[in-house]
Parts: sequence; C-alpha cells; structure tokens
Amino acid sequence: MRRRLPLLLLLALVACALMHLGFARERPGIGGLFAWLFEWTGIPAAPDAGDEFVLGMIRAPRLLVAIFGGAALALAGTVMQATFRNPLASPDVIGTAAGAAFGGAIAIVFDLADVAVFVTPLAALVGAVGVTSLVFVLAGSHGRFSVASLLLAGIALNTLFGALTSFVVTFAFDNYTSSSRVLFWLMGGLDARTWQHAWITAAGFVLFGMFVWPRARELDLLTLRDDSAHSLGVDAQRARRTLVWYACGLTATTVANSGGIAFVGLIVPHLARLLVGPAHRVLLPTAALLGAVLMVVSDLGCRLSPPEWNLRLGVVTAIAGSPYFLFLLARQRRGLEL
Amino acid sequence: MSRLECNLLSVQLGSRTLLHGVTTHLEAGELVLLAGRNGAGKSTLMRCLIGALRPNTGAVNLRDRPLLQWEPRARAREVAFVPQDTDVPFDFTGRELVTMGRHPHRGRGEGLREDDVRAVERALELLDANGFADRAVTTLSGGEQRRIAVARALATQAPLLLLDEPTNNLDLEHALQLVALLRGLADEGHGVLVASHDLNLFAPFCDRVVLLHDGRAHVDAPPQEALDEAHIAEVFGVRSRSPQQFFPREFLL
Repeated sequence: MRRRLPLLLLLALVACALMHLGFARERPGIGGLFAWLFEWTGIPAAPDAGDEFVLGMIRAPRLLVAIFGGAALALAGTVMQATFRNPLASPDVIGTAAGAAFGGAIAIVFDLADVAVFVTPLAALVGAVGVTSLVFVLAGSHGRFSVASLLLAGIALNTLFGALTSFVVTFAFDNYTSSSRVLFWLMGGLDARTWQHAWITAAGFVLFGMFVWPRARELDLLTLRDDSAHSLGVDAQRARRTLVWYACGLTATTVANSGGIAFVGLIVPHLARLLVGPAHRVLLPTAALLGAVLMVVSDLGCRLSPPEWNLRLGVVTAIAGSPYFLFLLARQRRGLEL
Repeated sequence: MSRLECNLLSVQLGSRTLLHGVTTHLEAGELVLLAGRNGAGKSTLMRCLIGALRPNTGAVNLRDRPLLQWEPRARAREVAFVPQDTDVPFDFTGRELVTMGRHPHRGRGEGLREDDVRAVERALELLDANGFADRAVTTLSGGEQRRIAVARALATQAPLLLLDEPTNNLDLEHALQLVALLRGLADEGHGVLVASHDLNLFAPFCDRVVLLHDGRAHVDAPPQEALDEAHIAEVFGVRSRSPQQFFPREFLL
C-alpha cells in the first residue's frame, strides 16, 4: 500500500486538476472543459472560442502554478526538515520566504511590477537568494556552520525582513493601488497567472527537484547527527549547505510566482511522513504530490468562494493547516501524559 | 592490513587545548580501551580518528595514507563509528537505520543488493535486535536504540570499528554480550577501539588501554600495566585494585 500511494496520489491529482479546470461559478463548466480537452487531443468537439480562451489562457496556467508551486513548497519543506533534523523546520525558517516577500513588495510598491510580468518574480528571487546568502555568512565560522546557528541567524533575518516588508507596505499606504496590490501578493494568490508564471514555477520545480531526487538516501543520513552521517561517508556540512540551497531555489521560484503561501511547506511533509514513513525515497514524491493536491484544492476553494470575500490562497492553506497543527500538538501532549 | 594511527595530534578550541600531542594507533586484530576522566579528550580523539574533526597539528593516517585524503565513502568502508549520541528525530524503523550502514557500499540511486540485505540481517542478529528491528526507533528504549546504532556500524563491514561509550543505557546482559561480540570481532581480525568509563567491563578483554589525562596520552600499554594503582590514582584521583582482580574474565563469559 505504501509503495502504491504515490500512484494513487497521482490519480487524485489528475482528478483535482480536472475539477480545478471544470468547476466554476461561471462558464465554462465541465461540458466546456471536455469539449476543450477533446479538441486539444484531436477529437473534433467544437468548443466555444470564449471557453477555449478562459481554459487555455486563464485556468490552465493558474492550475500549473498551483501544481508545481504546491509540489515545490512541499519538497522544500521535506528537505529543510531533514537537513535541520527538525520536524518543525519549513522553507521560511532561514529567511528565504521573507527575503522573497521583501523583494516582491519592493517591486510592486515602486511600480516596477508593471514593466514586465517577470519583474516581481525576479525581484522576489533576488530577495530570497540575498537573504539566504546573508544567513550562511552570519551563521558560518571558517566555512563551517552548526544547524543551531543557521536556525538562529535565519529566525533573526526572517523577523528583520518581515518587519522591513511591513514598513514597505505602510510606507506606500497613501498609494491605495500599490499598497493593496502588495498586501494581496503577500497573502498569496494565483489570480492573473500567465503562462510565463507557469513556466517559471515549473522550471524551478523541475530544475531543483531534479537535484534533490537522487539525494534521497543522503537526506535519510542527514537526519542522523553530523558525526554519524560523516562516518557513513557523507560530508554532512557540504550536503546540508547544498540541499538548503536547493530548498531555497524551490521556495523562491514558488513565492516569486504565487506570493506567500503559508503552511504547505510545514504541514505536507508531516502528512506524507504519517502516510509513508520517513524514508525519503518514497517520502519525497509523496510529499510533492500531496503538496500539489493541497494547493490545487485550496485554489479551487478560492475560485469558488464569493468574489466579495476576496479570499486569498495563503489564507485558505493557513485555515486548512492550523487545525492539523493543533491536532499534532494535542497528540504530542497526549503522548507526554501517557 | 587496516591500520589507523595518529601522530602528535593537537586540537585547540579557542583558548582551550583539548588534545595535546597524542600519538597512538589501532591495528587489525586488537581491542583497545580508551579511558580517562570526563573531558579528558576521548570523544575529541575519536572524532579526529574518523576525520570529523581536523586537528590543529599532527596527522591521522589510515593504511599509511592521510585520513583527510580518503574519499568519504571509501573511508567509511574502512572505519565505522558509533557516536555517543545516536538520537533520531524521525520514525525510522530499526531495520531502516541499520540499512543506512550500507550507504558506503551503494552507488547513488542504487537499490539494495543481496549482500546488503545479508549484512543488515547479520548485524541485527549479532546485536540480538531482530525482535524490535521493525519498530519505530522513537518507540525503543535507550538500550535498544544503542544496539541499533552498533548494528548500523557493523553493517558497514568496516575492518576498523570505533565506539564511543557503546554500553551506555545497556542492561548488564546486553553489555556483556556486546563486550563478548567486540572481543570476538577483534579475534576475527577487526581493530576495535572503545571509549568507555566502564574499566571493570572492558579491561579483562582488551589488548591495550590508552589512558587520556588532560588531553595527553598518559599511558598506552596492556591492561595489567596501564591500570595499575599508580596510573589509576594519577588519572582518576582514586585508590583502586586492579580491575582483573575483582571482575575476572571467566566470570563474565
């Protein structure tokens, strides 16, 4: 059952993707979706031109950003938890997400976002890489670092750049358009995603995922202490540094294209571990698929909610994630009482 | 023939000198006890001997070649190590953890071969760990976790084995079984170095004792000579009788 789970999750993802494309409050619905799919696969079905545009240019790229973004965040969270030997680590623990948010907020507030569609993602990427580099510089000593110092430097810079982002938002308060845009972006959302956003997110996932996948066994070994991993032939310092950079790449490309998405990187690895255990060979694909499913379903919830709610994706994932977090806490407390 | 040696090893941490010109060696076929007071430098020496800690001066050689020049997985096939702390934050099973010991023998992305499975089963059997090998390690007692950690080191099939306080948390029966197992491995041709405070347990079985005192190798000699009353008094500050007198080997096995 454990080995077949990734296959089952893949089927679930396909079903969720079809629902994401076909369920809507206005046209096209399921009928329009199938006409478009048939036409797309060469079976003449004469879809409506308007439906074709909505499905091909609006919903399909949005769906791909959700799939690859969710998978990337879950993968990044799984990598972070193993490299930090801490089940509470997540992609934003060493300031990557805060740096990306700061970069993106700067681009929006100073009206650079309208220059080209890739400017906000690029600014977010620069912010993410800059803050992560700073964390490594501050935590390191003679080229070496401890997990604890990396976490402490990360928490400090996370707080600092979170505060700077808040300052940028309040600084732009007089300009209603840009401050509301930056607030919307910070809360995460997939509206108005284009194929460019989809390709950047997919490329980030494929590129960094490709590097992470073959190192599943090394991730297992990094959950041991450094001396144990070292004695089994892993250069733990170098492996941790490299894998944290891959996780940063996965996080940065996702945050750059979909804003701040809470909890996916923290909760999904836990869920996946409960389902298939901690061995990364099966855990990595399971977490990636679960992350994609969670993101697609959450985004569908956003799309189907009344427009006057202005429901953001980051809000939905946090509302879905928090009860699970409390459940984990309750279970842990029960364990202590036994 | 595997041989691990260190020459004039010194390690400094800030203004503190943890090791001060230590010279010793580990040969195939011998069981060596490394002892000393808390903070004498036992774990630091162990970390240098596996290449996890770079000494400030001096060198560690494995098979007459500097240890730091060895490719990490090739080194891991020669020297296995059981550290003092072996906690794991995730619910791996004991068998999964012991299987990690086969990492030095497997290429990237390569699955388990028949000899990997055999080595894991043999290690679990030697540590009497089959009964709990399929349970999550976080549900095991401290002693059971310790046996899994030793089994992981044995699964590497390395000719040299370094263990830091291997009998911590073990009950008397399993502590004695472990000592007998380590003696047996040495008799089969392995080199075994054990850092332990339990002189009574290990002294009757080891070939040499290295007593560390304030980061220096105070004495490196057979147990009868190294653990005489004078050395014990100098290193540990206590009056004693020779360990063999009150815990003879025949009693243990």
